[in-house]
Amino acid sequence: MGHDVLLGTSVALLVLGALASLVTARDRKLCGWIAFGFATASAVPVFAIAAGVLRSGAGPEVVLFRLPVLEASCAIAVDGLSAFFLIIAATICVLSALFSVHYMTHFPKDTVAKFYPVMLLFFASIIGVLVAADFLFFLVFWELMTLTSFFLVTFERESRTSQRAGRKYFIITHAATLCMVGAALVLWRTAGTFHFDGMRAAFAALMDGRPVVGNLVALLFLVGLATKAGVLPMGDWLPDAHPVAPSGMSAMLSGALVKIGIYGLLRVFCDFAPVNDSLRAWGVVIALAGTGSLFVGTLTALKQVDSKRLMAFHTIGQIGYICLGIGVGLYCLPSRPALAALGLMGALFHAANHACFKACLFLGAGSVLFRTGERNMDRLGGLGSFMPVTAGSSTVAAMSIAGVPPFNGFASKWIIVATCVLVGFKAPLFLLLGIVGMFISLATLASFLKVLGAVFLGRPDETRRVREVPWAMAAPQVVLAALCIFFGVFPQAALRAAHAAITSVSAVELPAASALAGGGWGLSLAAGGAPLGVWAPIALVVALGALTFLAYRIQRAGAAPVRRVDVWTCGEEHPISAVRYPASSFFLPFKHAFRGIYPTVEARAPAFPPWLRRAFDVDSWFYFPVGKAVDRGARGFSRTHVGIPQMYLLWIVAGAVAVIGILLIFVR
Amino acid sequence: MTATLVALIVLPALGAVAAQALGRGRSRWTAVVLSGAVFVLAAGCIGFGFGGIHRAAVGTLPWLGESVTGPLFGVLLDPLGSVMLLVATFIGFLTVLFSAAYLREGNREHPVGPADQGRYYFRLLLFLASMVGIALAPNYLQLFIFWELTTVCSWALISFREDEKSLRAGFKALLMTHIGGAFFLAALLVMFVGTRSFEFDAPAALPETQRRWVFLLLAVAAWAKAAQVPFQTWLPDAMEAPTPVSAYLHAAAMVKAGVFLMARTVGAGWDVPSEVAFFLGVMALVTIFLALSFYFVQDDLKRLLAYSTIAHLGYVLIGVALGALGSTTALRGGVLHIVCHGVAKATLFFCAGSIAYITGSRSISALGGLARSMPFTAVAFFVGVLGVTGIPPFACFWSKMMLLAGATDLPGAIGPVVIGLILVESLISFGWMIYIGQRIFLGAVTPVCAVNSDPPLPMSITLFVLMLASIAAPVVGVPLVRLIGG
Repeated sequence: MGHDVLLGTSVALLVLGALASLVTARDRKLCGWIAFGFATASAVPVFAIAAGVLRSGAGPEVVLFRLPVLEASCAIAVDGLSAFFLIIAATICVLSALFSVHYMTHFPKDTVAKFYPVMLLFFASIIGVLVAADFLFFLVFWELMTLTSFFLVTFERESRTSQRAGRKYFIITHAATLCMVGAALVLWRTAGTFHFDGMRAAFAALMDGRPVVGNLVALLFLVGLATKAGVLPMGDWLPDAHPVAPSGMSAMLSGALVKIGIYGLLRVFCDFAPVNDSLRAWGVVIALAGTGSLFVGTLTALKQVDSKRLMAFHTIGQIGYICLGIGVGLYCLPSRPALAALGLMGALFHAANHACFKACLFLGAGSVLFRTGERNMDRLGGLGSFMPVTAGSSTVAAMSIAGVPPFNGFASKWIIVATCVLVGFKAPLFLLLGIVGMFISLATLASFLKVLGAVFLGRPDETRRVREVPWAMAAPQVVLAALCIFFGVFPQAALRAAHAAITSVSAVELPAASALAGGGWGLSLAAGGAPLGVWAPIALVVALGALTFLAYRIQRAGAAPVRRVDVWTCGEEHPISAVRYPASSFFLPFKHAFRGIYPTVEARAPAFPPWLRRAFDVDSWFYFPVGKAVDRGARGFSRTHVGIPQMYLLWIVAGAVAVIGILLIFVR
Repeated sequence: MTATLVALIVLPALGAVAAQALGRGRSRWTAVVLSGAVFVLAAGCIGFGFGGIHRAAVGTLPWLGESVTGPLFGVLLDPLGSVMLLVATFIGFLTVLFSAAYLREGNREHPVGPADQGRYYFRLLLFLASMVGIALAPNYLQLFIFWELTTVCSWALISFREDEKSLRAGFKALLMTHIGGAFFLAALLVMFVGTRSFEFDAPAALPETQRRWVFLLLAVAAWAKAAQVPFQTWLPDAMEAPTPVSAYLHAAAMVKAGVFLMARTVGAGWDVPSEVAFFLGVMALVTIFLALSFYFVQDDLKRLLAYSTIAHLGYVLIGVALGALGSTTALRGGVLHIVCHGVAKATLFFCAGSIAYITGSRSISALGGLARSMPFTAVAFFVGVLGVTGIPPFACFWSKMMLLAGATDLPGAIGPVVIGLILVESLISFGWMIYIGQRIFLGAVTPVCAVNSDPPLPMSITLFVLMLASIAAPVVGVPLVRLIGG
C-alpha cells in the first residue's frame, strides 16, 4: 500500500476516534479506552511507514489536492527525518493515551469530551506536520497542533492559572508561527511555490544573491521553531503550560510536541539551508542558544518545588542539549562531515531518549498527583514503599535524564559532548560549550536526587493510605523505563535510525553509519577511520553489578549493626510529614547564588496616554462640535424669520441693491 | 436567469410588505421561508452561472435614457458580485432564522412583543432586497440607489427599540453614511458629465485628474459606509440595534457594501492612479491600528466586536488597495476576506446575541464561567474567534494568507511593511480575543451567568451552520475569487 493510503487510514481512524469518543464522553473510562484503541490502531500504519522508510529510503511524494490560487499543493512525503519523529510521536501519544484512561477520571468538574477528541486530533495534526511536503500545509498542521494542544493545556475550565498558562502558550507560539509565515512568504516570493523543493532552491538563491534577506529568513525560522522547541527565552511558555496540563498531556507536550520544534529546526537548517559559511554561523548561534538554555533551564529547575514545573525546566535544559548537538553538527557540516554526522545523530538520539525519559517522569509525577493530589514536593514523601512501580520507573528515568551510565541519557549526551570536545580542538568555543554541558549534567542529577528523595524516599506516612496506581497507568511508565535501559545498553538501533534520518535530508555526503558508530553491543565512535571513543555498557553493567554484590557481601561480612529510630525532636511529638527534610530545603546555596538567573516580566494590556485616547475619539473633537456648530448656525439663521412682512420687504430691497451693485461692478 | 436574478430582488421586497401586512405571529415564518428561498435561488444562480458573467438590461429611465450610453438598470452576476450575493443571502437567511427565536418576550436583554414583529421583518427583508440589489448592480447608478436604500434600512433597524439611545445612534449612522452617499453622488456626477455613462469601467475614459477625483470621492463614500477612519465612530454606537441586525448589517453585509464598492471599482479595470491607491492602503492600515487600540477599553462585548469589524474591513481595503497597485492575488484575498470575515464575525455576533438572550448582559466584566451552562455557545464563540483572527485552518487564515502573498508581489518596501504590520495586528488582536473568550466562558461562574441552558433551537442551528461555514468558507470562496481579475 502507498504511504498516502496508510497515512489516510491513520488520520481517518483518528478523526473517527474523535467522533466516537465525543459521543461516549459520558462514561469517562469507556471514552478513554475507545480513544486509546483508536490511537493504537492509527499508530500501527504510522509505525509501518516509518520502519519501511528508515530501512529502505524515502517513499514517493503524493499530492492530495492543489491550491493554484496560492501556488500551493497539499503534498505529503515521508522521508527519514519524518519517519524518525513519527516513531517518537506515535509512541508517546499511544502511551499517554493509555495512561490517561484512568488518570482523567479524577477531574470531577470537567467532561472528558474536551480531552480525548482533542487529543486524537492533536495526534493527527502531529502526523500532518511531519509528513507535509508543502510549507503552507506544514503551517496549517503546525497551528492546528498548537490549537489542539492549547485546548488540552487549558483543560481545567475553572482554573485561572491553567487559562493563563494556556493563553501565554498560545500567544507566544502563535507569534512564532507568524514569524514563520513571514519567512515562508519571502521564500514564496522567490520560489513561486510553497513546496519544499521550491523553497529549498529559493533559500539557496537568497543566501547567495541577497545574503541579508536570506539570513533574515533563517532568523525568522529559527525564532519560530525554537519557540516551539522551548529554547529560552522564547520557550518561557513551557514552565507554565506543563504543570497545569493533565499529566498525560504534559508527557505529550514534552515527549512529542517540543520534538516537533526540533524536527522543524532540522528540516530548515539541514534540509533547506544551503551548506556554506553562514550555515556555520547559524550552527554557532543554535549551539549558543542551546547551551544558554541548558544552563539557565537546569539551574532554574534546581530551585523548583512543584514537581511538574521542575520537569518542565528540565525539558528546556534537555532541549538545550539537543540544540547544542544540532549546532555543533551544523558548524561541522561544510568541512567535517564525520563530526557533523556525529553531532546531528547525537542530537536526534537525545531527542528520542528525552521523549522516553521525560514522558516517563511526567507520567510518574502524574501518578503521584493522581494518588495524592499534590504537585508540591514539600508535602510529599515516603511514597516509594507504597508505589514501588512508579518509584522504580521514575528512578530509572531520573538516572537517564541525569546521564548516568548505563542508561540512554548517558549514551546520547556522551556523543554530543564528545563531538563538542573534538570540534573544540579547532574551535575552542565548542570545547567550552561541551564542558558546560557536561557539568550541567551534575545539576540535573542533583535536581532529580531531590525529586526522588523528596517524593519517594524518607519515612513512609502510613496515615495517607496511598496505593500503587492501576496497571493501565503503571504500564506506560514501565515501558518507557524499559526503553530507557534498552537504548542505553543497545544504542546501535536508535543511532542507525538517526543516521538514516540525517542522511535522508543532508545535502552533504555523510560517512556510513557503520563507519561512525560501530561495535556490536556497545558503541565505538570513529571519524574518518580514526577511533574516537568506546562505550561498552554491558561490561560496565557487569562491573557495576559485581561491585554492588561485593559491597553487599562486605557489609554482610562486617555485620555492622543498623539502628532505626525516629528523628529526635526534643521529645515533642510531630507527624512524619513535619519532620521530613522538605524539597525546598535542598541546595539552598545554589538558590542564593543563582537567584536572578530566570527573571520574570509582567505582561499587561497596553495603556494609552489620555491625550492619545482623546485624539482617537474623533466624535469628541470633531463630529460633535461640528454638529453643534451646524445646529447653532441653523438656529441663528432661523432668527431671521421673524414673521413681520416689513422685515421681509427690507431683506428683499437689501438683496436687490446688493445684486444690482454686483452687476454694476462686475458686468458693466 | 435574468428573471431569477430580478426575482432575487423582488421576492424579499414583496416579502417585506407581506410581513408588515401579516404582522404578529405569522410574519416570522413568512420571513424565514422567503429568505430561505432567496438563499437557495441565489446559490442556484451562482452554481449554474459559475465561471461566466451574466449581464442583462432590464429597464431605463425615459427622460435620462436619451443622454446616457448603455442601459440604466439591469442585473450583473459576475464572480465578485457572486461573492457579495452569497454573503448577503446566506447570512441574511441565518439572521432571519436567528431572529425568529431572538425576538421573543423571553429575551432577557430586550423582550420583543408580537406587535413589533411586523415592522422588524419589513425592515430586515427590505434590507435583504437592497443588499441583493447592490450585489447584482450592473453600474454605479443602480448601486447607488440600493446603497442609499440600505442606509435607510440601517437607520430604521438601529432605532428599532425607539429609546433615546438607539434613536440617537440610528440618526448618527444615517447622517454619517449619508454624508458618504453625498460623495458617491458627486462621483457619479463627475463621471456622468465626463463620459455620459455610469458603467463600472466608464472612468477609464476620463482624464487622469478627474479619474483621481472620482476614485477619491468613491473612496470617501466607501469609508463612510464601511466605518473606516475618519468615519469609524458610527459603527460602535450602532450596536444599539438588536443583535441579529448588528450581525447582519454591521458585520456581514451593509458595511461590506463599502468595501465591495472599492473592489468593484478596482476590479473594473480602469487605471487607478497609484498614489491614490497607496493613500487608500495607508488609510486602511491607520484604521486597523486605530480600531485595535480601542479593543482594550471595551467592556461591551458587541462594541468590541464592532471595532474588530472596523479593523477587518480595513483588511479588505488593504487587499483592494494592493490590487489597485497591481497585485491580483491581494485583490482576491481581500474579496475572499469579505466571505471569511462575514461568516466568522457573524458567528461571534450571534454568540453575543445568544449570551444576551440567556443572561441579559453584554458586559464582559460581568460575564464569566459561561461554558458550564452554555457549552455549545462556548464552542461556537471560540470557533468564531479562531476564524476571525485567522488561525489555520479556519476561514480568515486563507484570506489573510492570500492578502499577504499578494503583498509580496509589490516592489520595494511596501510589501514587507504591510506584511509586518498585518502580522503584528493579527497577533495582538488574537491575544486579546482569546483573552476575552476565556474571560467570558471559563473561570469561575459569575452571578449573571448562573443560568442553565444553551439558546433555543433556531439559534443553535444558526450557530452550528456558521461554525461549519467558518471552516468551509474558503472551499466555496476560493473557486469564486480565483475568477476575479483574469
